[in-house]
This record gives sequence, C-alpha cells and structure tokens, in this order.
Amino acid sequence: MAEQTVQFKVFRYKQGERPSYQTYTVRVDPRTTVLRALEQIRQEQDGTLAFRHSCFHASCGTCGMKVNGQEVLACVTNVLELGTPVVVVEPLDNAPLITDLVVDMGDFYARYQPAGMPMIRESEFLPDSQVPEGVEHHMRLENCIECGLCLSACPVAGSDPLYLGPAALAAAWRMVEEPRGRDPATVLAWVDHEHGCWRCHAAFECSEVCPSNVDPAGAIMALRRELTRRKIGQLFGRR
Amino acid sequence: MERGQQGTRGGWLWLLQALSGLLLVLLLALHIVANHFIVEGGLRTYQDVVAYLSNPLVFVLEVLFLLTVTLHAGLGVRSVLLDLGLSPTAERRVNLVLTLLGIVAVAYGVWLSLMIQGRA
Amino acid sequence: MVQERQTYGLIRRKGAWSWLDVRGRRLGAWAFALNRLTGLGLVLYLVIHLLVLSLLTQGESRWNDFIALAKSPAFLFLDVVLFFGLLFHGLNGIRVALVGMGLGVERHKTLFWVLMTIGAVLLLLSAWKVFSSPAT
Repeated sequence: MAEQTVQFKVFRYKQGERPSYQTYTVRVDPRTTVLRALEQIRQEQDGTLAFRHSCFHASCGTCGMKVNGQEVLACVTNVLELGTPVVVVEPLDNAPLITDLVVDMGDFYARYQPAGMPMIRESEFLPDSQVPEGVEHHMRLENCIECGLCLSACPVAGSDPLYLGPAALAAAWRMVEEPRGRDPATVLAWVDHEHGCWRCHAAFECSEVCPSNVDPAGAIMALRRELTRRKIGQLFGRR
Repeated sequence: MERGQQGTRGGWLWLLQALSGLLLVLLLALHIVANHFIVEGGLRTYQDVVAYLSNPLVFVLEVLFLLTVTLHAGLGVRSVLLDLGLSPTAERRVNLVLTLLGIVAVAYGVWLSLMIQGRA
Repeated sequence: MVQERQTYGLIRRKGAWSWLDVRGRRLGAWAFALNRLTGLGLVLYLVIHLLVLSLLTQGESRWNDFIALAKSPAFLFLDVVLFFGLLFHGLNGIRVALVGMGLGVERHKTLFWVLMTIGAVLLLLSAWKVFSSPAT
C-alpha cells in the first residue's frame, strides 16, 4: 500500500477552555477514511480527542462533521481523495458544542417529534416485501439518517436559531405527503410561520450536502406549494 | 408544540414578496425604458420631466411602481432582519419602523410627483 | 419526555456572515448570497434615487446641473453596476419566486442558467445603451 503522510488540523474544545486547532500527522493509505484517521489519532497520539461514530458505513448518521469546510460523514470520506496536504476537521455548525468534534443534537432530534415522526421502513422495499403500489415515487424519509449535515450547511440556520431547519421540515413534508390516516393540518400549522418553511431562501445547500438523498430543499418547496394552494383556496372560500 | 401557533402571516408575506417582485420586473422594465432608454441622452431635462409627469397614465404607473418597489424593499429588509432570529418584541419594532418608513417613502414620492406636475 | 438539558457555552454559528460565506458552497448558496447583496444594494440605491429626485423641486438649473454630472463616465459606469444588480436580483428573483411556490424545483439550476444567460445579454445591451447615449 502506498502510504502517505497527511496533516490533520483538528478543532479542539473542552468546556471552560478556549477553542483551538491542534495538528496531528497521520500515515494514511488509499483506503483510509477521515474517521479511521481520527481513530488512529485517538489511539496512537492523543486519547483526549473526542468524536462520535458508530456504524462506519453511512447508515447511522453519527459521524457528521466538517472536513475542509464541507459537511460530510467522516466514515465515508476518503482522506487522499480530498487531495489537500492539510485536512481541516471541525464540528458541525449551528448546534451547541459539547467537546471537540461532538455537538449536542438534542434540539435537532426534538424537532422530528412535532413533525409527526414519519417512518416508512427500508424493508418495505426489499424484494420479498409487499410494497403498496406507487410508493416508490416517494422520496422516503427513512432515508434521513438524522446526521445534521443539512442544518450545519444551511445559511439561514447559520443566523436564525429559531428556524426549524431542513431536516425537520423534510420530516414534516413526509407526514403531509402521506398522512396515513392522520390529519396533516397540525403539522402544516407547525411549519406555516415566519421561522418555519417560509424562512428558507432556496440556497439548496441542505440537499447538496445530504448524504442520503432526502432533498430537504425540495420538501420545503413542496410544503410551500401545499400551503400556497390552501391559502389561495381559503381566499376563494374553500378550506 | 415548539413555537406554537404563530399565525400564518409568514406565508402571506412571502407570497406578497414574490408577487410584488414579479410585478416589479414588468414595472421596472417600463420605468427604465420610459425614463431613460427612449429619452434622447438617457435623462430627461427639467422641462421634459414636468411634461412627462403631467400625463395621467404616466403618473398612475409611476405611483404604482413606487408603491410596489417600496413594498418589495420593505419586505426584503424585514426578511433580512428576521433571518437574524429576532425576538417577538424586536420583530414588532421592525414591523413598525419599516411600515412607517414605507409610508414616508410613498408619501414623499407622491408629494414630489404632484409638485412637479403642478409646474406644468 | 422531559430531560434535564445542560447548557453549553459555545455554538459555532456564523450569524449574518453565513449568508455571504460561499467558500466551498454551490450554486444555490452563491445565488442567495448575491441576491442578498444586490437586494441590500438596491435598497440603498432606492433611497439615494428618491433623495436625488428632490432636486427637481429646487428648480430647473439644479436639475439640469445634475443631469450634466450624471453623464460623466464614472456615473455611467455606476449605471452599469446598477443594471447588473437589477438584472441579477430580478432574474434570480423570478427563479426564487417560482421555486419557492414549488414550481420547477428539480430544474432550478437549469432555470438559473437560462435566466442568467438572458441577464448577460440584457446587461451587454444596457451597457451599450448607457455608453452610446449622446453626451448632451
């Protein structure tokens, strides 16, 4: 294996201390991911480096972070493919920092609750499962791995802490799109305000960074289309 | 439920912003062509301005343009400020101040147009 | 479910800078940043424009003096900057309005480039128009 030396400039923060960057030199091979490199740093150089991960294959959404300024899942980001001699690793933006690369996802997760926690499982699409006709046309929210990359990349979430954010709005749209017997009115009311779906300025960064093709921006626009339809309907006396 | 029922003003204002923007594309094109592109030298002389504004259709269109552009600008500035995550109190102040500024701008523009018209 | 939540001292949030920080960002974020910049610029221009028009109340010579000034090359260059702002904000605005109502969402990038092509042509035409106007 052609090993190479790469510098990792990693964001460090311990509560009560000033944040800083610390540089580590790591030997990587063509298959090394950022997550593996971070593990290497923790095991061989600095046991105090904190980061979060579990599955290593982009399905748990735990290792979201910023690598060279881009929101990515560290577990599927190849170090040498980045092509930079120094790799800058930082925690996600727009979420409270706990330590180093670990942010508090509590508020982020909490917003799935009012969105109606829509869930349609991947297993519905396995070859031997009974799939409702036409359901494959839906972008399914279970694709969302709740990694928080979208919230970090969103320029509006970057300035407005009240903004519900792409993931929650995508979840809301999933519920409205297919209510499964529930009334979408509550969820629509939840997103229909100044810091809900109307705060979005269509920068589409959420959909760009989403590692799971959820397309939150598309969902936000779909919510607006639905709300606009209902508002115009109201104007003419329909519900 | 987080943030609760805040009313649905956001949606209406967004629609108003979009529609006033689309209307502006037409009105602004008209404004620029009428005031500059078809004018010899690109700018009207004083006498030309007076004569131009004395046309009632021009007057109505220019006032409509003023109204639309003020609305669009005010809603735009409001949107920029709301992007900062304002508290409800700050938001109310922003609404009040921008409404007043908008009224002043339109009143000033109408007054100006009438004044110039009167010199015909 | 009520949980005791710890409050943390630090949150990495760029504030207003996040609208303009397009490093590593893609088309939509660039368009949004430019839309915001041109929008704020146009509000400023609107205020200046309305104030300048008050010269009309100060009589014929004041206005005609201003016209002479407005035909200087520096002013004409600013006119072209203004046209850039108007064309970008207006044409991108058409896209944002349509997409924001749920129309053409999947094709918003194509829509952007089509509108920008129209914008580039109109900008060239207007620049030509501005600079080819007779000097008096």
